[in-house]
Amino acid sequence: MNVLRWWWGILLAFFLLALVRVFLPLPFANEIIIFSIYTMGCSFLLGRVGFISFGQPAYLAVGAYGTAFYLYYFGHNPYIGILLGILAGLVVSAIVGAFFVRLRSDYFALVNLALAVIIFYLMEKVLAKITHGDNGLWFLANMSSTPGLDLGKPSHFFVFAFLVAMALWAFYKYLDDTIYGACCMATKINEDKLRFLGYSNFSIRWMAFIIANMTTALAGSLYAVYLGFVSPAITHPARAADPVVVTILGGAGTLYGPIVGAIAYTGMKDLLSGFITNWELFIGFVLVFIMLAGEKGIWGTLEPILKKAVFRKKDTAKIST
Amino acid sequence: MDTQLLISGVIFGLSIGSIFFLLAIGLSLCFGLMRIISLDQLLYYSVGAYITYTIHVATGNTWLGVFGGMVAAGLVSFGVERFVFLRIYERDIAFTMITSFGILFAGVGAIKYIWGLIPRPVPVPIDAQVRILGTGVPVYRLIVIVISLLVYLGIWLFLNRTITGKAIRAGIEDVEHVEGLGVNVYRLFTMTFILAGILSGLAGGLHSSLIMVDPQMGLEVLAFVFMVVIIGGLGSIKGTLASAFIVGQVVSLGSLVYAPLAQMAPFATMLLILLIKPTGLYGSKLLKR
Repeated sequence: MNVLRWWWGILLAFFLLALVRVFLPLPFANEIIIFSIYTMGCSFLLGRVGFISFGQPAYLAVGAYGTAFYLYYFGHNPYIGILLGILAGLVVSAIVGAFFVRLRSDYFALVNLALAVIIFYLMEKVLAKITHGDNGLWFLANMSSTPGLDLGKPSHFFVFAFLVAMALWAFYKYLDDTIYGACCMATKINEDKLRFLGYSNFSIRWMAFIIANMTTALAGSLYAVYLGFVSPAITHPARAADPVVVTILGGAGTLYGPIVGAIAYTGMKDLLSGFITNWELFIGFVLVFIMLAGEKGIWGTLEPILKKAVFRKKDTAKIST
Repeated sequence: MDTQLLISGVIFGLSIGSIFFLLAIGLSLCFGLMRIISLDQLLYYSVGAYITYTIHVATGNTWLGVFGGMVAAGLVSFGVERFVFLRIYERDIAFTMITSFGILFAGVGAIKYIWGLIPRPVPVPIDAQVRILGTGVPVYRLIVIVISLLVYLGIWLFLNRTITGKAIRAGIEDVEHVEGLGVNVYRLFTMTFILAGILSGLAGGLHSSLIMVDPQMGLEVLAFVFMVVIIGGLGSIKGTLASAFIVGQVVSLGSLVYAPLAQMAPFATMLLILLIKPTGLYGSKLLKR
């Protein structure tokens, strides 16, 4: 029964997302989907493991460049490109994570930022011969059309990204119910007790770091395939706080938080900037307000209200039958 | 590398380091005493720079502008402390980090609204140069270095010779005990926060004539300032001074060796130092909480 209930929640959420596709222009819908995948990793780190990272663009860039190098220099199949992007994310986060997860949360945020800056300059200046510097790699024409879902077409891409996002949601939800998910929560709340129970804090955090940043790398390679080009701007330090802002906006660690946050943030950025010239002012105030109101975010505030409404209806229905 | 280039590089690094020091000292004190990470110091830095620009346009005097910038930055930081930080001192450290980032973001928006997007120039108040070992060195940069050293001396005297300063130092080690002795810690918090804001405003005012004043200037130095605080060890003033000059030199001399190094080398340095000593150069075990 319990299993059924959350599946219904996910189906409902994705039904709404499909509606977004119908009512809003396609680029906007694609942007939302990719951005929410991007945010999911950050949300998992922040909400479940208690790590705040200001360097998510680093892993985004790793995924994007992993895909881009393959599609520009070697092959034509976007699916293999995406797989290679995820693989690059796995390798980099496994190596880097082993050092990073030993640090405390505020230092952790900063070393990640440092990594993002290093990768930015690596891609822009040092490796300029391979990455073509600021001009970026253009490979839209290199991608061959694939049978089934042709990722070169934005409408097909949306379906693919949609399915990927859904699978990821289900995965993170499943993770919550496992012992590993409980350990993640425990390492956030009380690491001494967890060690006392015989678990290794380090390996739990390392694992969480790898999972979260593979998700981020996946978002990066989706960006690369969708836009058909990658430039160092993707890891620019000025955008470093975006995923954290969106995570907080949606509600850290909640299941639907990332998508609500992504819709709200992309919506504000794209729609609001048409009416008000400085949307930063607005988002800044919203962020401060959310934090002062109790850091639960949009979804975190909505969830209890919705639950109440839904369950009351169910209860009355039960009584009447 | 020839000596002339080296000397001007070192002076450049020292002056940049001075600006970083003035900014980082506020962050470091705020972290040490209140356990908040106050990214909004970068907002007071931009405010200081913009007020300097405005007063310079109105009166033609940059020094008056720097002073006005300090006052304005102090006032803004007082307002922010009253309305936002007073409510969240008890909260988690990551929480204050995000809140202050929201303030910074909103402040950047407000600055864009008031002053527009175009970068503004502020002329250097003193054009003169002195010759050190045959190299022309701008006097203004030397003045910036002297001011930051005076600020360090002033803060050292304040923390070691006055009762309030001693209370702040005690508070850095254990706030509860200071509160138990009957000191109003919230007044200390407000004072420290405003002091930090004024110093950030000073940094902005001094830096404004070395660079262009533009709305994103706070976000541009954010990473460097943070790095200075982290390398020096959160809450340590001596460490902040040392690491500010280290980072300044790495930026300046790194760019002489190979241009892209200017941005990358400091971060690589930080990574290295943190991996060897996770609490920073002078960060003590006491501060672990």
